[in-house]
Amino acid sequence: MVSEIYTHKNTSPKPCANNGLLAGRRVVIQPNMSACGWLSDAGSPALEGFVALEDATVVARMRDAGAELVGSSRMSELGFGLAGDTANRILSGGEADIALVTDTMGEARVAAAGSAVFGFKPSFGMVSRSGLVGLVPSMECYGILGKKMEDIIDTLSVIAGKDKDDPSMPDETFPDFAAARKPLKMPCTAGVLKECVDLLQDRERKAFRTGLARLEEAGLTIREVNFSEFDLFRVVHHIVASVEASSSAGKYDGVRYGHRSSSGKNWNEMYLNSRGESFGSGIKTFLFQGAYFQFESYPAFENACRNRRRLVRTSADLLGSVDLLVFPTRRLEHDAWRAATINHIYDAFLLTLPANVTGQPSLHVPSLALHAGTDIGVQLVGLRLDDPRLLSIGMKLSSTAQGGASHEV
Amino acid sequence: MKYEAVIGLEIHVQLNSATKLFCDCPNRPGDEPNRNTCPICLWLPGALPHLSQEALEKAALACLALNCTIQPESAFDQKVYYYPDLPKGFQLSQHHKPLAKNGWVDIVREDGRIKRLRIHHIHMEEDVAKLVHEMEGKTPISLVDFSRAGTPLIEIVSEADMRSPHEAMEYVKTLRSQLRYTGSAECSLEQGTLRVDANISLRPRGSDEFNTKVEVKNMNSIRNVGDAIAYEIVRQTHCLEKGEPIVLHTRLWDPEKRITSPMRSKFSGPCVPDPSVPRIVVGKDWLIEIQGRLPEMPGKKSERFLREYGLTPEEAANMSFERDLSEFFEAVVRQGLPPRKVAGWMTTHLVPALRDHNQTVRDTLLTPVRFARLLSMLEKDIINAHAGKEVLLQLLSSEESPEEIVEKGHLRQVSDTTELEALIDRIIAEHPSDVEDFRKGNAKVMGFLMGLAMKASQGKANPKLLKEILTKRLN
Repeated sequence: MVSEIYTHKNTSPKPCANNGLLAGRRVVIQPNMSACGWLSDAGSPALEGFVALEDATVVARMRDAGAELVGSSRMSELGFGLAGDTANRILSGGEADIALVTDTMGEARVAAAGSAVFGFKPSFGMVSRSGLVGLVPSMECYGILGKKMEDIIDTLSVIAGKDKDDPSMPDETFPDFAAARKPLKMPCTAGVLKECVDLLQDRERKAFRTGLARLEEAGLTIREVNFSEFDLFRVVHHIVASVEASSSAGKYDGVRYGHRSSSGKNWNEMYLNSRGESFGSGIKTFLFQGAYFQFESYPAFENACRNRRRLVRTSADLLGSVDLLVFPTRRLEHDAWRAATINHIYDAFLLTLPANVTGQPSLHVPSLALHAGTDIGVQLVGLRLDDPRLLSIGMKLSSTAQGGASHEV
Repeated sequence: MKYEAVIGLEIHVQLNSATKLFCDCPNRPGDEPNRNTCPICLWLPGALPHLSQEALEKAALACLALNCTIQPESAFDQKVYYYPDLPKGFQLSQHHKPLAKNGWVDIVREDGRIKRLRIHHIHMEEDVAKLVHEMEGKTPISLVDFSRAGTPLIEIVSEADMRSPHEAMEYVKTLRSQLRYTGSAECSLEQGTLRVDANISLRPRGSDEFNTKVEVKNMNSIRNVGDAIAYEIVRQTHCLEKGEPIVLHTRLWDPEKRITSPMRSKFSGPCVPDPSVPRIVVGKDWLIEIQGRLPEMPGKKSERFLREYGLTPEEAANMSFERDLSEFFEAVVRQGLPPRKVAGWMTTHLVPALRDHNQTVRDTLLTPVRFARLLSMLEKDIINAHAGKEVLLQLLSSEESPEEIVEKGHLRQVSDTTELEALIDRIIAEHPSDVEDFRKGNAKVMGFLMGLAMKASQGKANPKLLKEILTKRLN
């Protein structure tokens, strides 16, 4: 069943297991997450009519844990940005308790900010990507949206962990999520990036300061820290993500599935026409930019990779001096749902994309930093693969956050 | 000739691992089209590659057999190009960080001296799908067979050390022999499991510059490799003599017309690191374990055969060139037979007989033990060489023992002097004019009479005795 806000609506969502960790909870996914028999077109005509042959690891694990899969939302083409994404409407409308939204540059966290719920991007490598119709393999992951911290923690503990079908996951042992369920007891220092605060407008800064004050009320110590290369995150993300996207989207050629153009005298024309007719202008621009760096400016790509390694190191070093970093989640004047050009999309995700560049976990806590009813969000970033600690800080803020909730639809 | 050829070879070898490189599909490209496919090798959305450990081990073994150093860290890149044989828009290949570097093989030059040819590096990559072009009525159509897509290859990139077609052919032969020894690959040019691309350029003799090269593809035998290179050297020489510039391009060898002609080259894009296949980090223990699997290589084995068995250099080379044959040889020698006799019989009789019967030492009924019993009957003069060849042929298709075959076929050698004397007397009596000739000094008649006598004995006479008697009688 198809509707304005669903790509696929499940007519029999009742799970076979009734006693799992997610029993009784309704989950909405996206059509870039394979669910056997469901349309999995990742929001793109390039995958027109593609029906998943098997469940993604994450989907199978949620089914086994008793989740009711209500359907898949509409999403932006190939999960890049939030244009046309309906996950937050499904949550706000009370039709689901939990939503999974892929997070390539902050989509899950920004979507959470738009529906007054918690939004979490796990560490890169924490959750299997098998069955995810991806675009930027080194940055994307399943993001989790939930009304309560418990929704986030329960979902993560179900979907996280080693999977033989995703050999790119790290060898390290996976953390125990029991620690995440208890609010962090020990003293906790949050670092605020000076370079980040400097680029905010006055009213954004004011809202963010309100949010920081709420963190202090909850017992966190706020400290200003410096990250002189903060502005590199955007350009590094842009170059690396566009190059990876250009490569990954190469498989959408209309040969085995998806839209195939009816015109074309030979296969070169078939490719050109099929791909030309399939992709929307936004994603097409992004793929072109990636192809430009690949084919015409490879040293820029290599440079971006080097810079990325340095940003990862600096970010990890900073987290040696403070327990977590705090950013706003989004900006007032950059609406991610309306962003139409690549530049506007990058403006809208400027504050969330650093965690995708570094692979660190990041949690959006709702309703702490409001400006005239709009939540710009408080976003916490922790050390890679130390997700439980970040979540237990989230638990600590949870009561504060829910006390001040102001729902926005 | 005032020019010298500079030749480098890029050789693709299909590994014979049970599965494809990144999924569990059978590595059998020849099966019915599109049978051996899965979401991973079809690159359906959401599928992730996982590197086959067996393919990695076989690749590493091949690298060690060619004296390369396995790199502590290697990684896969995406080689981007768009073509229907490539289901995902890029080929996974090791461009920036190959599996192994700095190898070599020794070959014998035209003048008999040993020359060491260097290998620049060896990397792993996946093979692409196979395109089949057909007509549907009057419309040309192209079909894609993904059974081959994702099967494991290694690419062996030589330094440009070769100077003649002979050196290139010897390089391919030696490399093929060493790779087959490891059991990692079949290496058949005819079946396409070993594919040779040659880069050829010319320069004034004595110069050490590298000029624009031309790539030649599509040689499906070692002889074709030599012929295509020889043709290309002549073609380029004519170009230079006419003052035409050499342009970088790819040419196709036509085995029918025996010429090369230019082909439209595939567009080849950049290589970006692949984020989904984990880097290969080689541990010390793993490497020791793979090194332990490396058999004695043909060069070493040949030296040992020379030393231990007293074979001539040529016999030693023949007996060590193929691993199966060398093991067969040693198994026969262990039965107590003289090594040179074994080597001689294997080269002159066994190998041609196997070839004629489309058998190999691996699959034939003729085990080393049965072959040894045959040779031992020869040694003991129970049968003669003529009968030996007859028994050998029967052993290829019969499970009877050599002794049974000899008895049943009445092939036992006749060494009874009385019987042989009677036979000779009859021949002499029947050919008085020939005997006359001989006595007048025509020595050739001796051979003729021997042949008649042997034939009369149905090939069973003991030739030594026969000759003694004949000589005595004639004089």
